[in-house]
Amino acid sequence: MSEHFIREIEIKNFKCFNDFKADGFGRVNLIGGKNNVGKTAFMEAIFLASDIKSIDSIDFINSFFVIETLREVLKSYSGEMLVLEIIKVFEKYQNIEIKTKDFYIHLEIQKDMLQDKFLINGKDSRVSRKLSNDFFINSYELWNFIPSYIIGNKLIFSIFNQIKKQRKKTQLNNILKQFDNNILEFEIIDNQPQVFLDSSQKFQNILELGHGLKRYIVIIASILINRDGFLFLDEIENGIHHSQLDKLWNIILTISKEQNVQVFATTHSEECIKALVTANKEDVKTYQPKEPILENNEIKFIELGIVDGKVDSIIFDFKELENEVEQNMEIRGW
Amino acid sequence: MVRIFCEGSDDKTFLRLLLNDLKKSQNIIGQHNFDSIIKVMGGKSNLLDKKSYKTVNKQVGKQIKKVLFVFDCDFIEDDNICGGLENSIKAIEKLITTLDWKIEVDYYIFNKNLDYFIIDTIDKKENFLGCEECFELKELNKNRKILTCIYKSLYPKKPFDFSHPNFNELKHKLKKLFKEQK
Repeated sequence: MSEHFIREIEIKNFKCFNDFKADGFGRVNLIGGKNNVGKTAFMEAIFLASDIKSIDSIDFINSFFVIETLREVLKSYSGEMLVLEIIKVFEKYQNIEIKTKDFYIHLEIQKDMLQDKFLINGKDSRVSRKLSNDFFINSYELWNFIPSYIIGNKLIFSIFNQIKKQRKKTQLNNILKQFDNNILEFEIIDNQPQVFLDSSQKFQNILELGHGLKRYIVIIASILINRDGFLFLDEIENGIHHSQLDKLWNIILTISKEQNVQVFATTHSEECIKALVTANKEDVKTYQPKEPILENNEIKFIELGIVDGKVDSIIFDFKELENEVEQNMEIRGW
Repeated sequence: MVRIFCEGSDDKTFLRLLLNDLKKSQNIIGQHNFDSIIKVMGGKSNLLDKKSYKTVNKQVGKQIKKVLFVFDCDFIEDDNICGGLENSIKAIEKLITTLDWKIEVDYYIFNKNLDYFIIDTIDKKENFLGCEECFELKELNKNRKILTCIYKSLYPKKPFDFSHPNFNELKHKLKKLFKEQK
């Protein structure tokens, strides 16, 4: 497996994680657990560890704004104003500590009589800054964290823009056809995401074709453009029919290997977990056994639950997951 | 959450029926998917082997808070290390000590095996034993598997008589397993 992958993490004072440690992550990691146990927050902590390149530039705050925005967008859908201020974000995340093999961050707020400051402790450095709201998010494009809710056109455009820049349009269309042979091409036409359908021999706006189609186009495209990177999929199964899940996993497993991407995804669905097992060991057309796409340690299932009031985890490798699934054991949290 | 470890899929089916019966009679309260808590270990030697519990070791104390092992004592002449009741008790207690899970762990051992146990509880037991002798079934299979298969074929809709006193100890252990489960 690749050197850049995150194999372990320590999280302190971040959302529901007071003091959490887990290790043994693989290339493709599926996270299960009951509601509000912290599946998305766990993924957000890993996102921060993967996304913050340096604390020396103020730009690292973008990564915090991303996770704030992902959650706040839900509020904006409900009509609330989306206003993010740097001080509020820092106050919210003060004392957060995230540590991996290659990454460390600890945010502190230091109050004194003259000027409140925030201290950022990194792996090899420490930076002190005055608290100020004089900071604007640059045009920060995010194309590796796919939220659980309805995907907006902005995200689709951003991802498709990258597909074109990386000259992966043909590859995307070939994979989309594997997933649904009625789809021959994806394109942005008249500022609208559209697919060319074999059945009607014309382009159709994907908004008219359902949320699931939009979602799997975005998932497939985002894994293609994140070579040597990371992909985060919140509630991966949302909007996708269970019968399509093994095909989707087949594509994710295959491309994650080709593109050297580490994938983290959350789920509530038993069918989604079963589909992951099927996709790795069976041909998703004939359902006959085949050589596994990924090796035993490359696929991990991370089950989250609460022990003595604290979030804890159990990490299964592929064979362990397969055995639990075959015996219908409950592994979706405790 | 609790976990029951048994030898094979027949044991799992039987335990599921018994658990459903206990739930129906309100001896077990609450929502439970019994299928998802009974794990088949693939035979007695696997069930008694600490190496079979690599995954379970990760779950104990987190997801798994109580455990019950259910298996057959079998016949001493077939396996003089863990065959027969006395050897089976020694083997399971050694396993429990080795695993050192620090949670509530109990075991139930069927007299000889599940099929013997079931035949002992059915109506017309004598008729079945006569059948066993007449056709010299013991020479073909001393586990009485053939007899339970005949019984199930003849009376597919007739449930086991779970009110039979032979079930009491196992029922007690199952009720205890589910008691005060958070």
